[in-house]
Amino acid sequence: MIDALAYSVVALAGVAVIWGILTAIVNKPPGKAQLLYAAGLEAVTVVQSIIAAAKIIGGFRPVELATTIGYLIGIVILIPIAWFWANVERNRFSGVVLAVAALAVFAMTLRLLMLWTPAG
Amino acid sequence: MTDVHAQPTGSTGPSSTGPSTNSGAGRVLVAVYGIFALAATARASVQLLTRFDEAPLAYLLSAVAGLVYIIATITLARGTRASRRLALVAIIIELVGVVTVGTLSVLDPEAFPRATVWSIYGIGYGFVPLVLPILGLAWLWHTRPVND
Repeated sequence: MIDALAYSVVALAGVAVIWGILTAIVNKPPGKAQLLYAAGLEAVTVVQSIIAAAKIIGGFRPVELATTIGYLIGIVILIPIAWFWANVERNRFSGVVLAVAALAVFAMTLRLLMLWTPAG
Repeated sequence: MTDVHAQPTGSTGPSSTGPSTNSGAGRVLVAVYGIFALAATARASVQLLTRFDEAPLAYLLSAVAGLVYIIATITLARGTRASRRLALVAIIIELVGVVTVGTLSVLDPEAFPRATVWSIYGIGYGFVPLVLPILGLAWLWHTRPVND
């Protein structure tokens, strides 16, 4: 994992949370820009998980290896599922669904940063 | 907030079954349940596979929590009459579980040396595990069929 990249994910996810809540407040479904933004967040998250996986394969051992791997996998599936779920029925709640998923990505990435310390 | 589930007045036909649990705000509820299904199940799997002997009771309860969240997510997402009953059972177990485990973890920390999703009423998850079953029951009530 690269700290700068992880903090980028945290910041991008934070904006996605606020954006999702804002569209709900103004009672609109997420627009094209918001959906593209969510796709961008997903792309950065995937890159981060791939880099982290490469480092683990390369020999890095975080304290909680199994938990870290679980987080690295879990974090990349949230946005795609939320995207699908938000688009089946498009209304103000679609934005909240995206916000909930982004909040999970936000929290999980912060947790990953804490987990990412060498064992031993 | 406007009630998006309001039925058209004087409607006939399928609308008499009432609003579905997977519509409107229910989609957000399903999303939150889905995240907890993922979190609790993944956490329990790691705990059971890597250090079951440390706290068997706590870890088995983690697994039960994961299963309950999975059932609640699927049944709320389906939103049929049959799935509503199953959702009700799952959410009642969830409420009993979080209150019981939460109370035991406060009164007898020895029994729960390792955190679970329900420890101290879900403090590790912003107490969402305590609020979620209440919201779930409220939502089932809100979307109850008109003629049952």
